[in-house]
Amino acid sequence: MSRERVLQRNAHLSALGIITTIAAKEFKDNLRNRWLWMMTGILLLLSLSVGFMGSSISGSLVIFEPAQILSGLVTLSVFILPLGAILLSYDSFVGEKESGTLLLLITYPLARWHIVCGKFLGHTCVMAVACILGFGITGFMLGMLSEVQIRLSILIGFIHLISSGILLSLVFVLLGYWISLIVREKAKALGILLVLWFVLVLVYDLVLLTALVGLADTLNRNLFNVLILLNPSDLFRALNLLAGPSDTLAVKSSLALIAQTGIGLPLMYGLLICWIALLLLWCSWVFKGQEI
Amino acid sequence: MNHQALTPRVTDPLSNVEVAVRAKDISKDYGKFKALTDINFDVLRGQTLALLGHNGAGKSTLLKLILGLITPSKGQIQVQGQDVRAMNVSQSLSIGYLPENVSFYDNMTALELLDYFAKLKGVTKGKVHTLLSEFGLEAAKDKRLGTFSKGMRQRLGLAQAILAEPKVLLLDEPTVGLDPLASAFLYQKMAQLKAQGCAIIISTHELGLVQENMDRALILGRGHMIASGNLTSLREATALPAYITLHAISNAQRQQVLVDPILASYIGSSTPQGIRLSVPVTQKSVVLTLLLQKLKLEAFSVESPSLQDIFHYYMDKVDAPSSHTLSTDISQGTDIIKELAQQAKREWVA
Repeated sequence: MSRERVLQRNAHLSALGIITTIAAKEFKDNLRNRWLWMMTGILLLLSLSVGFMGSSISGSLVIFEPAQILSGLVTLSVFILPLGAILLSYDSFVGEKESGTLLLLITYPLARWHIVCGKFLGHTCVMAVACILGFGITGFMLGMLSEVQIRLSILIGFIHLISSGILLSLVFVLLGYWISLIVREKAKALGILLVLWFVLVLVYDLVLLTALVGLADTLNRNLFNVLILLNPSDLFRALNLLAGPSDTLAVKSSLALIAQTGIGLPLMYGLLICWIALLLLWCSWVFKGQEI
Repeated sequence: MNHQALTPRVTDPLSNVEVAVRAKDISKDYGKFKALTDINFDVLRGQTLALLGHNGAGKSTLLKLILGLITPSKGQIQVQGQDVRAMNVSQSLSIGYLPENVSFYDNMTALELLDYFAKLKGVTKGKVHTLLSEFGLEAAKDKRLGTFSKGMRQRLGLAQAILAEPKVLLLDEPTVGLDPLASAFLYQKMAQLKAQGCAIIISTHELGLVQENMDRALILGRGHMIASGNLTSLREATALPAYITLHAISNAQRQQVLVDPILASYIGSSTPQGIRLSVPVTQKSVVLTLLLQKLKLEAFSVESPSLQDIFHYYMDKVDAPSSHTLSTDISQGTDIIKELAQQAKREWVA
């Protein structure tokens, strides 16, 4: 029986304790280096700008309709959140390998999946706090300033934005772990992840939209849906356009088509969670098989 | 269930002391590259084994094998009588480890770091404070590790290694870059642990320091165990000469030395200030007896071959020009290395 398996069996009772200890350390690290507050500040600034100053682009100074605000936030968040998540996680393993602490940690009586899950839980808390504060404050302020009839739809829209934003971030956090596990230098990990971010967030989406517009008559609808599901950032976009106020789809031209997958919100959330679960398992498996 | 209670106690037949670490015919291959070949050794409870060898000789690989981080291609490593790959949590806590050049987390304080590692090992916070105080870090406990000197970091590193009061302590180059005082502090702590029954395996290049603090040395050359034993047995095996320097001798005494057939044959150099004899280790006591009883000499100094001399002796053999002929394929080894390895193995078996 492998040492890993023996450790897993024996440490089963204290696994939660180990995971929360590592998670707490990761969370505190991000408090200490001010990463958490920086990310929160960026998201808050972004949401406040879009919420209260977005109309200046059109030459007027009015507060946009909730649908327009949410649509604008989704469009920008799909770039910012994955980028933030990558910057949070790219050196999680390769950085500790370089400093020697990962080698030390794996000599401790804990299984490697404990380390992956501990870091993941810590980073989940970081991204959750950043998204809740960064978007939540703006959502709350907009709600308070809006008429009572639309207050609920704003609230619901922001809840979906926050929850799906956290899930999207976590997918990219885990992609960061994966790359961090398989490279030997921090700079290389960051480089690969930036390329990955560029492809998944920008290129993939543009190609998909081009295909959708250019091949509207011939492109199989099911294939299109599958292509959306294969990219978590498109899934995030589709989910929020579908979940937003009823007039969101109407104002978003071609982007709106992405949301018309015929798949319901629960399934979209489920798929994002599947992405996370698969990547978490994958990272644990990759780490388990490594000789440090 | 106490798993340790079920583990058979393995003892050394000669001393009847418990064997803390046993390596049996250990080999480790990475594809065609043979990192380690046929390594055998025992480390008894309360003993210190010095792992010596050039960079890349296989010292760190051997430590990782003992830690169970990598699997041997052949052979078995036992810690406290238990195969290291099948150790449970309580048994794995019996090993403490300080990696080479570990830099920890710069943003954490010393207290936070030890507390973090203590939680992962299931050790109480009280122990953390005791260790901080014991290692002279109490005053700096709330300072960020980024501000710590190398010596303070190593002290902290050793403190984390012994958090769970291990039975076996593995130290990979613990004194690299340390000033003499910091090195002396680490060795002093190691001596205390040893006295408490902890078996210590230390990989180092600082031979002068380790010589005074080790019980046995294991010299690795290109993944082979080329020598092993205590300082006396290594001196005998290498047959390196001891140097006896006769200071301030009278003309009559000088004449006596020059005419004595035994003493005269060992004269290395003769100056007005004194005479330096180069004596085989096996003849050292004979010569000393002669000097004390026949010449009534009292002012002389004896220098036995140091660990450094012994190490250089073996490394010169390993690095001899003929050894380089197959340097790209050390799996073949060289005749010299193979011969040394076989000799070391024979001695170990004996």
